[in-house]
Amino acid sequence: MRTLKMKSIQLFLAVIAIAVFPALTPGQQVDAHIGKLSGNTDAGKHLYFRYCWGCHGFRGNGEGENAPYLNPTPRNFVAAVFKCRSTPTGTLPIDEDLYNSVGRGFNTTNMPSWIELTDQNRADLIAFIKSFSPRWKTEKPGTPITVPPEPKLTLESIRHGHELFEKLECWKCHGQEGYGDGPSAATLTDSNDQPIKPYDFAVGWRFKCGVTNHDLYKIFMTGLDGTPMPSFADVIKPEEAWDLVHFLRTLQVTHKSPELTLWESTKEGAEQVAAKKIYGTPTGSGVKQ
Amino acid sequence: MGIKQGFVAGVAVLVVSAALYAGPSGGTISGKVTYEGTPAKQKPIDMSKEPSCAQQHATPITTETVVTGPNNALENVVVYISAGAPDDSTAPGQPAKFTQKGCQYLPHVLAFEVNQTLEIANDDQTSHNIHPLPKVNREWNKSQPPGTPPISEKYDKPEFIPVKCNIHPWMHGNFAVLKNSHYAVSQGEGSFTLPNLPPGKYTITAWHESYGDQSQEVTITGSETKTVNFVFKAKPY
Amino acid sequence: MFERVSQTVEKRLSRAASALLSGLLIIAIVLGNSRPADALPLPSVKVRALPAFARKYGMPCSACHLAWPMLSAFGQAFKDNGYQLGNDRDAPIYQQPAYWPVTFRITPIWHRESQNRTLVDGPAGPNTAEGKVTTDGFDWSGLDFHTGGTLAKNFSFYVLPSSDNTGAFHFESVWARLDNLFGSSWFNIKMGKFELDNLLSEKRILTLTSVAGTYTNYHFQPLVSPGNPANPGAVAESYTFGIGDNQVGVEVMGHSKDDRTRYSASLLSSNDGQPGLPTNRGYGGYFTASQAFQVGSLGLQRVGGFAYLGQAPTYFQFTQGGVGVPGTGIGNKSFYRLGLIGQWYIKKVDVTTMYFHGWDNAFLGSNTPATAPLPVGAQAPTWNGGLFETHYTVSPQLILINRYELVRMSRQVFATNPGNFGNDDVLTVGFRYYPFISSRAGFAFHNEYAIIRQRGASPVNGLDLTTSSLLFGFDFAF
Repeated sequence: MRTLKMKSIQLFLAVIAIAVFPALTPGQQVDAHIGKLSGNTDAGKHLYFRYCWGCHGFRGNGEGENAPYLNPTPRNFVAAVFKCRSTPTGTLPIDEDLYNSVGRGFNTTNMPSWIELTDQNRADLIAFIKSFSPRWKTEKPGTPITVPPEPKLTLESIRHGHELFEKLECWKCHGQEGYGDGPSAATLTDSNDQPIKPYDFAVGWRFKCGVTNHDLYKIFMTGLDGTPMPSFADVIKPEEAWDLVHFLRTLQVTHKSPELTLWESTKEGAEQVAAKKIYGTPTGSGVKQ
Repeated sequence: MGIKQGFVAGVAVLVVSAALYAGPSGGTISGKVTYEGTPAKQKPIDMSKEPSCAQQHATPITTETVVTGPNNALENVVVYISAGAPDDSTAPGQPAKFTQKGCQYLPHVLAFEVNQTLEIANDDQTSHNIHPLPKVNREWNKSQPPGTPPISEKYDKPEFIPVKCNIHPWMHGNFAVLKNSHYAVSQGEGSFTLPNLPPGKYTITAWHESYGDQSQEVTITGSETKTVNFVFKAKPY
Repeated sequence: MFERVSQTVEKRLSRAASALLSGLLIIAIVLGNSRPADALPLPSVKVRALPAFARKYGMPCSACHLAWPMLSAFGQAFKDNGYQLGNDRDAPIYQQPAYWPVTFRITPIWHRESQNRTLVDGPAGPNTAEGKVTTDGFDWSGLDFHTGGTLAKNFSFYVLPSSDNTGAFHFESVWARLDNLFGSSWFNIKMGKFELDNLLSEKRILTLTSVAGTYTNYHFQPLVSPGNPANPGAVAESYTFGIGDNQVGVEVMGHSKDDRTRYSASLLSSNDGQPGLPTNRGYGGYFTASQAFQVGSLGLQRVGGFAYLGQAPTYFQFTQGGVGVPGTGIGNKSFYRLGLIGQWYIKKVDVTTMYFHGWDNAFLGSNTPATAPLPVGAQAPTWNGGLFETHYTVSPQLILINRYELVRMSRQVFATNPGNFGNDDVLTVGFRYYPFISSRAGFAFHNEYAIIRQRGASPVNGLDLTTSSLLFGFDFAF
């Protein structure tokens, strides 16, 4: 009863809030800077209460009216834990990371790409969502990890990447063949105790944090904070990390890549790829990355 | 059995080390933590998916959300001074050690201080990921394959932090990040000792991962020893 | 589409006159029969704002609609992408099995309609006088059932059974679309009955009155000759075409990923979206293109152009009992409509400006069958139009609306007509207040006043015809 009452009070306050929000005083003025763009918290607030609150909530805590129906749950900006960063695990992302996330959207979630908004709009939104968490005032964003230039793609690189995949036990969650069906996959939960599935490489969906090899490198070297995906920065040498990237691409059998092509040019590779089950319908494959 | 002894020894070392850093002399608070009622039965853990760990346990280990000793003793309770003692300005130099062995966390509850180095080691032949789930501190998540050096981390705000390994869902532990060196984790007999307390009025708090926390006020006037006992109400679920 | 009383009445009379004159049954009678031609003007509610989509994606109305039913840039991109957000979660297989994408919308209203010179019976007999007719009272709009969405990834559809306020249904939209062909957003093919790719969408118009529920420019057709006591009722063209009307055909459209650049090309049956091939075998083409660009913190600006090149029949090849055999209209003559449009966003204010130009073949302009000689002095009528629509979006909950439309004849079909004959001026003001914004349903307090002056269009004396409409409504959709 209490929660119900609380909920209705909250709802009432929410309705009041949206009715009068233009009159509300701005929160903490935390600006965002992305390249030449400067985000304005006030401007972002108006955009937030047009586009974002339904899922992320009036208080930015990820408890919008629609949140109970979403999986994965919307990001909680108060906790300020973000999946897609260029910075080490446990650190705040740089503004550009957040800006890119808003523009890119999160594949297989309810978070769409917002590239239809202007660059300025997105920068303003970043400025505003940063005002939800005190962490932005007490902590500095992490220093982006250094990504060395990608070495030449070779079969040795792919094979070594495979060894790393075994040694680091990526397969415990992602499965030996990359189907996302490893022995631990079924038990995974995110930091909100919601079930979460590891990425299925065979389906070949776009990665949540970007589609390039560079993005893939960052995913496992920074970890996806708030999810079971840890950072491997302490255990993989930067030069070896590219080998893992090359190998992982060969697991994406429905997504054409130079890595897959090279791998298929070998007898064992061709056999392995041909033996892979393909999930989904023809229209679900061939997704442009 | 060996593990349990090691665990108790580990806690003892911690208590002693805490005592070493607490200052030269003063009063002492000691007591026992017990429960009343029927605590939840701990469930056996199926480690068959991780043979290298399962082999280390002759009989299956159980979950550790409530660990009890003889005479209703309650283990793994963090007893600490929550008010009355000044915050430590510098953290102890010695690292707090947290070990993954046999797909278990040793100790199950690790208490240490704000900004004290936390050293996490993997003694297993399998990869773990260490994923503490703080609310006020930074949330990080790191992979630790076998044979890699220990991970060093710090927390800069006091908090009780659940720790888990996503790869091995049965692995649960706790970090107690505290503001001062006056703390202890109750051992097999449920007993604890907080030595070397200067005269003053203290709030002493006991925290248990399943039963929450409770506090008492204690005044220390000299080098006396005061007894404070805590009784937690056990819930059968 | 409901029409203004003036036009409706005029049209019916003009059709009869034309039929007498030409000895042929005019196509428009068929059209006229299939269109609601009520004597009383009714608000036009044929718009799309889909709580079904909000429910599917959990977004508030305000994400896709600047103020529903008008789209925001984000909503436009969603629509252009085949009602897909593109996160590999659009296909129905990812929805709850019980999810059924249906939305209905209806609007209980109070309205007051007034016309200064309506054709009435007079001392000289039936239909010989003009009277000021004013009515008011409670009423309701027609009902729309919208269903649309994604059948599978990159297969989208839309079906809209729509009723007038008596409950008589017709299909406002029926189409399916292949989206992102060849993996490219530049290639989408749609077939069926659909709204033309108008940046200023008449189906998403923010005004509902009988006067301003449609864009005058989108439906304007020149009048042929003024009414007079001997032959009451200004004569209108006998064919009907409106860019604002949903048309039947096939459309290829494409857009950049961020929807800044858009184009469309359609091949359409030239029967103004009527079912059953009622008129002819002619086709028309519609082409649009637009480009948006960012201007600092002001927002997204968009400029575009459109062109409709069409043809309309002038007589039936066969008649049966004096009535044209449907689909056998021949003697096609051409017409075109051109326009330029700009949508300017200056923070909370947005202004739409449009320039419109129309041209009709002299045969169409004078209601002459292609086999007959043109009446003496008949020439192709041309006209120019303009539209200025301003919105002030106070918040996602409140939008103030102002619109001014004008149409100016640049060449009358007969030089003997007064130069300003048929010129229109329409002024509209209103606001919509949305007491709540949610991702489940929509509600708006709608308040609007609109007035139109049509030069020389009064039925008997050829004086200016002024029609006004005042409307309060509870506009809701679920």
